[in-house]
Amino acid sequence: MLCLATGKAASKELERIDQLFFSYANNSSGLIDPEGIESFCSDLEVDHTDVRILMLAWKMQAEKQGYFTLDEWRRGLRALRADTIVKLKKALPDLDKEVRRPSTFEDFYTYAFQYCLTEEKQKSIDIESICVLLDLVLGSRFGPQVDYLVQYLKTQTDYKVINMDQWKGFYRFCTEISFPDLSNYDPDSAWPWILDNFVDWMRAKQG
Amino acid sequence: MVLHKFGEKLYSGLVGTMTLHLQEMAKTIEAAQGNLFLEELNRKWNDHNKALQMIRDILMYMDRTFIPSNRKTPVHELGLNLWRDNVIHSSKIQTRLLDTLLELIQKERTGEIINRGLMRNIIKMLMDLGSSVYQEDFEKHFLEVSADFYRAESQDFIECCDCGDYLKKAERRLNEEIERVSLYLDSKSETKITNVVEKEMIASHMLRLVHMDNSGLVNMLIDDKYEDLGRMYNLFRRVPNGLPTIRDVMTSHLRETGKQLVTDAEKLKDPVEFVQCLLNEKDKYDKIINLAFSNDKTFQNALNSSFEYFINLNPRSPEFISLFVDEKLRKGLKGVSEEDVETILDKVMMLFRYLQEKDVFEKYYKQHLAKRLLSGKTVSDDAERSLIVKLKTECGYQFTSKLEGMFTDMKTSQDTMQGFYAAYAAELGDSPTLVVQVLTTGSWPTQPSITCNLPAEMSALCEKFRSYYLGTHTGRRLSWQTNMGTADLKAIFGKGQKHELNVSTYQMCVLMLFNSADRLSYKEIEQATEIPSSDLRRCLQSLACVKGKNVLRKEPMSKDIGEEDAFFVNDKFASKFYKVKIGTVVAQKESEPEKQETRQRVEEDRKPQIEAAIVRIMKSRRVLDHNNIIAEVTKQLQSRFLANPGEIKKRIESLIERDFLERDSSDRRLYRYLA
Repeated sequence: MLCLATGKAASKELERIDQLFFSYANNSSGLIDPEGIESFCSDLEVDHTDVRILMLAWKMQAEKQGYFTLDEWRRGLRALRADTIVKLKKALPDLDKEVRRPSTFEDFYTYAFQYCLTEEKQKSIDIESICVLLDLVLGSRFGPQVDYLVQYLKTQTDYKVINMDQWKGFYRFCTEISFPDLSNYDPDSAWPWILDNFVDWMRAKQG
Repeated sequence: MVLHKFGEKLYSGLVGTMTLHLQEMAKTIEAAQGNLFLEELNRKWNDHNKALQMIRDILMYMDRTFIPSNRKTPVHELGLNLWRDNVIHSSKIQTRLLDTLLELIQKERTGEIINRGLMRNIIKMLMDLGSSVYQEDFEKHFLEVSADFYRAESQDFIECCDCGDYLKKAERRLNEEIERVSLYLDSKSETKITNVVEKEMIASHMLRLVHMDNSGLVNMLIDDKYEDLGRMYNLFRRVPNGLPTIRDVMTSHLRETGKQLVTDAEKLKDPVEFVQCLLNEKDKYDKIINLAFSNDKTFQNALNSSFEYFINLNPRSPEFISLFVDEKLRKGLKGVSEEDVETILDKVMMLFRYLQEKDVFEKYYKQHLAKRLLSGKTVSDDAERSLIVKLKTECGYQFTSKLEGMFTDMKTSQDTMQGFYAAYAAELGDSPTLVVQVLTTGSWPTQPSITCNLPAEMSALCEKFRSYYLGTHTGRRLSWQTNMGTADLKAIFGKGQKHELNVSTYQMCVLMLFNSADRLSYKEIEQATEIPSSDLRRCLQSLACVKGKNVLRKEPMSKDIGEEDAFFVNDKFASKFYKVKIGTVVAQKESEPEKQETRQRVEEDRKPQIEAAIVRIMKSRRVLDHNNIIAEVTKQLQSRFLANPGEIKKRIESLIERDFLERDSSDRRLYRYLA
């Protein structure tokens, strides 16, 4: 009986999750599109550029920026045990905590980059977007690093786009390198070249 | 007596008698005055030896039976011991003997003549008495006194002699001591006494000698003092750290002068002179090492590493070396024997070996070779080929394949032209002669250029050639490089002066226009020929502004070409030569923007080579850390150029981006190969 009851409860929950999905989905495409996401955000009372939306997308493992499929929606909301907007709102702080755990953060960080690759075979992201993304995902934890890095990225002329290897390098740099003295930065170890340049730039700035 | 058990009595009697006798002898010796002392000692020693022999013969039986069984000292040895104890070690003789000997040696050192025979006998006596007697009673003191003597003497010398003289004196002293040992000392003393001289005269003053003002090692090197240098080498070789001292000073002097040479702004103006200076410097030091430093390998290595150091300080060295070859192959080797040509080329190759950026040399070499081949300026085909073979053995097939391709093109073009004229001979009649060189794209350092408008008679001929060529070689494309050709024109000027003008293709196009016009403006010429304006300006400049070659006249008269200028045939043109070669105003050395462009091309060409090296290495190693990959790539490429670690890093990152490699997920320094 108990088993049946939970099964029943579960199917009820799934039903409500699906209902919620279709309340935002576009009827013709069967997807939640940018428009749907916007009304979803306003119901959630969170700005669509807020890092928490990115976290939700990560939880859903959403593939395409600006769209949620039904499968992704189900994956995310069931994991969060949320079938209403109210429950989802309550689940957000826990999601935030989960993402910030070091064991999961790297995965989230990598996901954030991939999420921004919108074109087929696209492998890198333009500097402008990278700066926004950096601030979004690392800004609260590594404020000074991100500020300088963004400033550097906007002034340098060697690179117009950033690839995954460099993106990962930024995070490692933030976690491993003493800042702003950079005392443990070893240019002979395998840091991406762009970080060597960033360090040179920082040192020149510091005199 | 021995038979009657009186052996003991006989033996002790002998000891007693001999002792007494020797004490008497000692007294006589002591009594000898001055110089006679040694002679007396020698005479008595001879007497004693004779007596001793007789005694031993008489007492032979005791010597053979009683002495061994009673463990006594044999008669002869006993006699020597007693002589030592009673004569040599007698208080009045011992010091006197030593002083006398040392005094005589001192006299000999200051140039007096002494009785060497007597010396030899006395020293021999000391040696006969046992090596310890020789060492304790003479050698030890001799070495001490010698050390004092040479310490003082070297101090005097170094204050008043220049380096060369000092070394001469030291060498003489050393030889004197060796001679002394051979004349009257124990041969075992030789190394001991030479060590003393070496230490006092050389080791203690080594640095001061090497760095002596106006006469030290650097001055010897500058003035090619082979004898002095050889002497220094041979003397310093005897002491610890001697040769490294010479080598270090030579190396730093060489690096310093080399650095001055390659950064001398005056020298940079003339590339041929620049390279000649390098070669002279190399010859100079080769000769020094050969004549003075007995071809010491470590010195040769020091020479090579110094050259490698300073040649690469100047980024233009590869270009200049190629220009040097160019000059030699264009005119410098005219009338030079085949052997001498080889010698020069070998020397150039040696400089080439020092270059770190061999690929830059290759780039320039290709450009210069192309110019030589196309203008027909090369003096000797054999010399050209010989150098290619040398480059090939040095750097491998890859390095020279394109250069060889250029030679093949030249040969093929000759055949093609013969074929063309054989096929069209009748049809062509007395139209101008066209010579075409068909160059394979990729082998030649050609830049894409716009084809200018050729004179009608030429372009008709060119079309004929095109259809002939494409008829025999289907599927090819021909484009004309009018920026590279030359032409010979027959011209008749106002007063009937006839000349043959040797001009470039561009110049020909301009001049031919004047067959049907008296006056042409710059714009008209530009329109008619479609020669790119920078080239056209240079071409007009060389036709109208160079004295003695000004076949055109320009209004207004000025050094520069303006858009509004007008041009006329110069009817008053005069030259004492029938053939007039009109050059184009071109710089032989590369201009600054050209240099930048070449540099950029070199950098671009390096990228795929670096990537290929990384992939090769990673394919076999699978996983490798950052520092090792940098080291291995550098090593693989160093026969062509010195790869910049930053560039290697960028190439690695590019390969990561293209999924050839990945970074290890836990250790950032490790790269993995993705098959």
